[in-house]
Order: sequence, then structure tokens, then C-alpha cells
Amino acid sequence: MRYVKFFLRLLPFLIIGAGLHYWLPQHDVVRLTSTEVIRQDFSGFNRIFYAQADSGNTEQVTRDLRLINTEKQKTWFLGFFPRESRGVMVYRNEDTGWIWPPYFKFDSADLQAEASALISAAGQEQWVVVTHYGWRNRFLSIYPNAVGLRAIDSPDERIIPWFNIFFFIFAGIAALFMRAAWMQFRERTLDPLFERAGDRMDEVNAGVAERRSRLKRLFGRK
Amino acid sequence: MGFIRLVVILAVVLTVVYWSVSLYSCSVRREALEDAFDEEHPNGGAKGARDTYIANGMADYETGLRKKLIWLVYVIPVLVVTGILIVTNTN
Repeated sequence: MRYVKFFLRLLPFLIIGAGLHYWLPQHDVVRLTSTEVIRQDFSGFNRIFYAQADSGNTEQVTRDLRLINTEKQKTWFLGFFPRESRGVMVYRNEDTGWIWPPYFKFDSADLQAEASALISAAGQEQWVVVTHYGWRNRFLSIYPNAVGLRAIDSPDERIIPWFNIFFFIFAGIAALFMRAAWMQFRERTLDPLFERAGDRMDEVNAGVAERRSRLKRLFGRK
Repeated sequence: MGFIRLVVILAVVLTVVYWSVSLYSCSVRREALEDAFDEEHPNGGAKGARDTYIANGMADYETGLRKKLIWLVYVIPVLVVTGILIVTNTN
């Protein structure tokens, strides 16, 4: 029971954490190998992991999906241990449109052209930083969405996640403000309200007690 | 259309934020005025003086800069959206 309670308390944090991990931008150092377009037949399971049709188009049940194939530099194991190995990574390249996630990306076609221009062969690598959000999952057939590409000289380039830094600072300030606003609201509005209500309750109770004692006096002794 | 949906959602959310921030700011200002008066007049002051003092202070607040700054609640998100739009879509 205690474990269940603990898990239930942990659950909101897990959900928020997973959401942030999915939606916040991350950076990968990759070598672009090719770009392609496949027809994508979405299922009920993986539809939620895709954006909608390009912003000027209409939504259909199936549509073409732009993909960017890469060889990715795997730099940090679990984020702690540096390692020298490479793996493949496939990014989708979709408009996010006006709503969610709020990247306001409308330039998928341009990004695809940019990706094609940056393709390089093994041995003469042109390293590229891919800004993306989302997850790669083979079982669900989902891909992270590439948002931006930037050519770099060396794969060891240090990447500073400015957006995420500002995002978390802002989230902290917003949380502090909400706390302060709630405390102010409680101190100035709720507490006086309850105090008044409490006074009223006391008065009512006192009245009831008095009436009861009067009744007792009336009926108590016959 | 997506753009209209964004405008509607932003308008609703930002209006809620605007009202919360202005209520909070107003409440903090009033509390500060009350505290300032009580500090200057430990014995309570003349009858009605406290109410007049607070009313005057709040009137100053209503026309002051601080209250106008709350409009930034609407301005900043629009600037941020524009900024992200430009950064994402320029190559």
C-alpha cells in the first residue's frame, strides 16, 4: 500500500518529466547520410507522436513523411560517461504548425533541402548539429522531429542549451510567483473569509447551545 | 485554422494571467500601504486617516507605471512567438 501511494505521488512528476524530455529541444552531433520521403500509414498508437500535414495542406489519413538519415556521434553514455562510438539515427522532418509543440516550424521543405546540401561521405565528414525534439522508438515506428541544422567544424563542439536554460529559469520564476500569489490570496482573502465564517459558526453554535439549554430547562424538569 | 486557434488560446490564457498578476500586484500594494501607515501611526492615527491614506496610495498606483507594466503579460509572449518563428524558419 505504501509503495502504491509513493508511486501515485511520483506519477505526476514522471509524466511532467517525460513530457519535458519529449518536447524540449535537444542537440545531436551527426553526419547526414541521406534524405528520403516515405508514405506513412499512422496507427492509433503512433498517431499522437506525429505532427499534422504541412501547414498549407489538408489532413489525410496517410501522407508522405520527410526523413533525414544520419550517422550519430554517441557522446555520453547516460549523460555521464564519454564514449567514442557511432550509431544511426533517423529524424522526421515535419511542420509543427501554429499550436503544439510551439516551435512554429513551417520550413520542412527548406530544412530538407538544407539537409541534402549537407550530406557528406565517411572519411570527409561534414559534422552537423541537429536540433530536435521527440523520441525514436522502433516498436512504435516514431522518430524525433528535426527543427534546425547547423554545420560545425569539429564533432567535439561544445553545445550550450540556451533555450532550456532560459526555459527552466522562467519555469522557476513562474512557480515562485504562483506560490507568492497563492499565499497572498490566502492571507488577504481566504483567511479573513474563514475567520468571518468561523465567527458566524461560533455565534450559531452559541445560539444553538443557548436554545438547547432553554429547551432543557423547559422540558428537563417536569 | 491553426493561426486563429493560437490567437484565441493565447488571448484566453494571457487574460487569465493578466488578471491574476494585476490582482496580486494590487493586493501587495495595498498591504504595503497598510503596513507603512501602521508603522508611522503606531497608535492608529486620526479616525478615517488610514482609509484616506490607503485610498490615495491606491489612486497613485492606478495611474502609476507599475500597473501599466502588467500589460507586458500580453506583449512578451507575442514577442517570444515572433522570435521563435523567425529563428526556426530562417536558414
